[in-house]
Amino acid sequence: MAPARGRPTATRGVFAVEEPELLLPDPLALDTSFVVEALIATQPLHAVCRAFLNRIDESGVSITTSDLLAVELAEAAFAIALKERWGSRWRRHRTDGRARRRGSRLLDDTISRYETLLLSTDHIPVPVGETASAARSFMTKYGLASYDAVHAASAVAAGAKAMVTIDAGFALLPSSLLTVYTDRSRLASCRSKRPR
Amino acid sequence: MRSVSKTQTNGRPEPLSPERLAELRRPARYKTPEEKRAALKRATEGLRVKVRVTPDMYGRR
Repeated sequence: MAPARGRPTATRGVFAVEEPELLLPDPLALDTSFVVEALIATQPLHAVCRAFLNRIDESGVSITTSDLLAVELAEAAFAIALKERWGSRWRRHRTDGRARRRGSRLLDDTISRYETLLLSTDHIPVPVGETASAARSFMTKYGLASYDAVHAASAVAAGAKAMVTIDAGFALLPSSLLTVYTDRSRLASCRSKRPR
Repeated sequence: MRSVSKTQTNGRPEPLSPERLAELRRPARYKTPEEKRAALKRATEGLRVKVRVTPDMYGRR
């Protein structure tokens, strides 16, 4: 077979979690978007994210997360209950008490699963209050959205070199600050977002 | 309150001190491959919902 022409694709510090040769730095930061896909079996990237969690467990690296992650999981649990009841109009029914029982059950289940997940590796939870200044800096310097900025600042605070995420917003940071590990379908969009 | 407010000359916020990171670190409870596999199975199998979870459902854009 003829060799491919041209330069190899620049990685820009963005790699696919499906790549078997991918090195796992210690610690490794997890973002909410990845955890949601891993925990909820009906999500489209569930199998990919679950397989990567398995690799993390086997590798023995520690993981770090922002304390914001559990709050976002709670938000997702109640939004699921509302969306199941109200469909695309769920945002208008945020105060609907009829969805709260289902939301509470989902919340308990999701948080319990998240806590179980964290028991397989050494875990460094980073309090939001210890990352506020760096998060503000990431927002103003690089245009990160606030929640992304908190997760990125937590990762850097814990000494993580890579963030596992399916949110392309983390690629707004320079690769010198944080490598992005994402699913294969997001490589191009993440690489195109990296600052030059 | 401890904070990572200091910024190094390369623009990278300083990480938390090794002492603080040691305080925050929670050692793994499950150590053997069998325990880890079982925990991962409990965490990731069986949670099925009727809708697709999108980033706006946990406060992202």
